[in-house]
Amino acid sequence: MRYADFTPYDIVLLLQGLGVTLALFVGTTVIGLLLGLLLAVVHHYRVPGCRPVIVVVTEALKNSPVLVQLFLVFFGIPAFLHVRMTPVEAATLTISLNTAAFAFVIFRSGIESIEREQIEAAEVFGLSRARILRLIIAPQAAAFAVGPLIGILVNQLQVTSLISVIGVFDLTKIGNILNLRTLQPFIVWAVIGLIYYTAAKTLAHFGGRIEAALRKSAQWGGI
Amino acid sequence: MIVAENVEKRFGDMPVLKRVNLTVAPGEVVTILGASGSGKSTLIRCINGLEQLSGGRITVDGHDVSTKAGLVAARRASATVFQLFNLYPHMTALGNITLAPIEVLKLPKAEAEARGRALLERVGLSAHADAYPQQLSGGQRQRVGICRALAMQPRYLLLDEVTSALDPEMTGDVLRILAELAADGTTMVFVTHEIEFARHISSRIVFLEQGELIVDLPTADFFAEEGGLAVPRIRQFLSKLKKD
Ligand SMILES: Nc1ncnc2c1ncn2[C@@H]1O[C@H](COP(=O)(O)OP(=O)(O)O)[C@@H](O)[C@H]1O
Ligand SMILES: [Mg+2]
Repeated sequence: MRYADFTPYDIVLLLQGLGVTLALFVGTTVIGLLLGLLLAVVHHYRVPGCRPVIVVVTEALKNSPVLVQLFLVFFGIPAFLHVRMTPVEAATLTISLNTAAFAFVIFRSGIESIEREQIEAAEVFGLSRARILRLIIAPQAAAFAVGPLIGILVNQLQVTSLISVIGVFDLTKIGNILNLRTLQPFIVWAVIGLIYYTAAKTLAHFGGRIEAALRKSAQWGGI
Repeated sequence: MIVAENVEKRFGDMPVLKRVNLTVAPGEVVTILGASGSGKSTLIRCINGLEQLSGGRITVDGHDVSTKAGLVAARRASATVFQLFNLYPHMTALGNITLAPIEVLKLPKAEAEARGRALLERVGLSAHADAYPQQLSGGQRQRVGICRALAMQPRYLLLDEVTSALDPEMTGDVLRILAELAADGTTMVFVTHEIEFARHISSRIVFLEQGELIVDLPTADFFAEEGGLAVPRIRQFLSKLKKD
């Protein structure tokens, strides 16, 4: 067997790469969604001074290349703040922030889609702000947001491939390694592409089921 | 007792309420009349604390609505029915009705639901307890809105043009319920353009004209030639309503 041949061990490599990609995706999704939600709530309650900052930062994150953000975090922050940063830390930070920016916009429009009048009704009936947020705003905003959020997350899954550039051993990086060794780019990248495709389709599928369940449990046709 | 003293409300520098004085004693039905834009809704929204006063004072059973604790107590004492229903669309009719009793009055769920079902039965909607607002007609939604208010067992019911968004047939359903409530001695502050109905159920009628409360009379006096009808603006307002 020549060095350049595919070996069964390559499958293990691919699975490892996929594992890194998925772990990073899940981690940044959890952080990003929570942070985006927090930003939307802070924005909603007009916490003094926060609105313009949130809007400027999220706009910057949404409208600049993720690769540039990644370089800024990985090379820029250590140079500027004299701290060490591993590729995984830089990748986690960057993609979490990026997901948070998109999630913020979706949660914000979810909250804004709720008519003021309902909230006023809840207020005059004596419900506290926290209860209004939990019982009136959150369920409706969630039903509104779940579809667009799944769209964003499917996209973010692809975006994680960028982190291979700074040396994270994700699926794309493994593809790179296999490609350099076998010099069979067509096969390697087709397989890598197919794995991403399958992962994205699976995510979209389960997302769609969650969305359907949410809409079914909330039969109020209006949203 | 609801007491409004020299209430002022400005939006920006536009005065909307000008030194309004109004007292509503328990058992009274006080109807607020006035042209569109005269400040009727704003007055209701000042009483239930949705607008902050620019001047003057409102108390509900002695609780000042411009203080935090006072507003909480005042909101316990009164309940509002809205022109556009303002139901929570993600909750069933029963869910809408039981939300505040459970969360605010801390009633056990079963008790709140029993109370809610009894109210729905009273307004002829027992079959719709599990319907979502979108599945109900306007008149049915407003009856749910009334149940939601009554479930809080308020001492004062604030009603802001509760039939304006309904067609005549449904208006009748809602007005019949309000007439029953009035006959039971429910205290109401009632904004409406249903003049004949107001005449029928009100103990007093007040008239707002561009933010000023220009007339406050017992119902019979309001409709007397030498009473309310002697005020040209009111005569004009009433004859215009008849034409519409
Ligand atoms: N939130 C607001 N901001 C600015 N102007 C308002 C607001 N609410 C009401 N107004 C104005 O106050 C006046 C009285 O309104 P409103 O109380 O709704 O009258 P009514 O209920 O008698 O028709 C109107 O001129 C209206 O445009
Ligand atoms: Mg009005």
